[in-house]
Amino acid sequence: MRASRRGVLAGGLALGVTTLPGCAYIRDDVPTKVELPTSAKAKVDGDLVYFNWADYLAPSVVKGFQEEYGVKVIESNYDSMEGMYAKLAAGNQYDIVFPIAKWVVKLRQEGKLRAIDPAQLTNADQVFWSGSYFNDPWYDPGSQASVPFTVYKTGVGWRTDKVSTMTNSWQDLWNDQARGRIFTLDDQDEALAMAALSLGYDVNTAEPSELADMKDLLVSQKEYLRAYSSDDINNMMAGDAWVHHMWSGDFLYLRQGLADDPTMFDFESPSEGVPINSDAYVIPTNARHPGTAMLFIDWLLRPENAIKNMKYLYYPFPVKDALPAFADLAADVPACNVEISDLENENVFRLLGTDEVQRRAAVWTAVKAS
Amino acid sequence: MTTVEDTGTRRSAQRTSLWGWLLALPTAWMVTFFVSSMAIIVLLSFGRTTNDGYPAFALSTANYRAIWNEVYLELLVRSLLYALATVVISALIAYPVAYAIALHGGRYKNALIAAIVVPFFASYLVRMYAWKALLSDDGLVNSGLRASGLSDGVTFLNTPWAVIGGLVYGFVVFMILPVYASLERLDTSLIEAGRDLYHGPFRTFVGVTLPATRAGLYGGALLVFLPALGDFVSAQLLGGANTYMMGNLVQQQFAEGQNWPLGSALTVGMMVALTVLMVAYLRATSTRGGER
Repeated sequence: MRASRRGVLAGGLALGVTTLPGCAYIRDDVPTKVELPTSAKAKVDGDLVYFNWADYLAPSVVKGFQEEYGVKVIESNYDSMEGMYAKLAAGNQYDIVFPIAKWVVKLRQEGKLRAIDPAQLTNADQVFWSGSYFNDPWYDPGSQASVPFTVYKTGVGWRTDKVSTMTNSWQDLWNDQARGRIFTLDDQDEALAMAALSLGYDVNTAEPSELADMKDLLVSQKEYLRAYSSDDINNMMAGDAWVHHMWSGDFLYLRQGLADDPTMFDFESPSEGVPINSDAYVIPTNARHPGTAMLFIDWLLRPENAIKNMKYLYYPFPVKDALPAFADLAADVPACNVEISDLENENVFRLLGTDEVQRRAAVWTAVKAS
Repeated sequence: MTTVEDTGTRRSAQRTSLWGWLLALPTAWMVTFFVSSMAIIVLLSFGRTTNDGYPAFALSTANYRAIWNEVYLELLVRSLLYALATVVISALIAYPVAYAIALHGGRYKNALIAAIVVPFFASYLVRMYAWKALLSDDGLVNSGLRASGLSDGVTFLNTPWAVIGGLVYGFVVFMILPVYASLERLDTSLIEAGRDLYHGPFRTFVGVTLPATRAGLYGGALLVFLPALGDFVSAQLLGGANTYMMGNLVQQQFAEGQNWPLGSALTVGMMVALTVLMVAYLRATSTRGGER
């Protein structure tokens, strides 16, 4: 069984963070405006050193690339964005990485990314067509250093055989029928965003008075909760959860890929608004084989490969000719679909300053500890 | 006659310098990887976080002022209680197991000890996930209970007892081994003597066997208590909404919290508290041991 994208976070951190070479990470100031090193040409210049979440592309697509270009794909995995960033900051060399949008901002600001010239990619028009959202996304003006990978949203999944009183609202995470069998994602941004949206605040708020309200709201939820956990797929499969704050792709995989009886599960995208985020492909400045990485990105943009990946991951890829296939995949649960137009909203996780992150973290810690 | 003495001293001097050399490698290892990382944590506990999110050294007591928080105190008390329960349950499990192997294991002793130790080569994390699969609401245990008609199903997971259970499973071997070692060394004629003096089996056990193996129990208690107190995996995977422990708090500061200096101050604070507790414990147990 495949674990949720961030479900393995706990143990991974035990390994990930403790192996950090402290000195490389501890320094005072980082340049914020750096010229992007020029784009590489898309041609084989060595084996591909690949750095991604575990099990996060269809094996057949990776295998196909190795056969097509006669190179090897050497795989490393991270278990959290913090872990990914720490490895890069410590000087490890990877050819391709798959960060969440706000981490693209951070990596780009710090001069850790190479430019990616769409003219080098034969399938660039699949993501950068005229009028595409990704021609100028908020996290990478002009898409100069990144190519979009997947898009996803966060909502609520539930057991239709146990709960009959869902209302298409975040309030369903306080549902009486499911009291004691409700899970909230063990994820600072997601949990705070859920509270913020319930109260009509910005998902990135760090306003002390708003944070105080969010804290009260989340504490009021504790008597309904069974636990905080990001292992959403397994919690639902094992029968522990009747209502689960969860990621759209995890839900779709659970329902279409795992469940014996798919009609036992349903998903809603609450009417107060939901976080919608995207991941991207990037090539680090110190990559040794950026040419192979360019070819790999081009390979992933081929519609037939994007479709294979979607049928494996159950997250939509914003690849033009693959979108109808995803709509089919999500036909029974349209709430799981993410249209590219959905991305034009304010509910994306942005890169915040240290003070803001720490204020938000203090609230999240207080909620879990209270 | 002096020659004998001379060679004696020379030999022991040689032995000392040989030991000195042999110890150099582990000492260098410990200094590099243990002492220096400890030093970084202590230094960082007076540090701050830069605007870009990097931890940096500084001279600030803000982190120590921040850990003086009643929520954290509550977590410390909870963690202490969980760790104590873990020690008690581990002892109750470990003693009979060690006793049976040491006194009745015969020629299978080593094989039995190996059978206990081998599962612990599997990652702690993997074993916690296995527990999750076993104990979930539709898991093997609950399916068995339902099939046998014994119960409609029990909520095991996401409770304090699941966390303590995970800790016991994780660390019980650290109790079994020292208790086994002290039982192995036990002179069984003492037990026979107890019987000869008209003690029943129970009084013999309480009056003779238990006191003679106290050192093993005390050592095992410490070996189980310390990792259980700092653990965060069990609470994260098996715990519920109200089982957050000190270990989770510290881990949170190093990850999403982006506050390594606060995490370091919490670590140092916990180490100081533990050292005080440990010294008191060692003093108490060694004086009682001395009474014998």
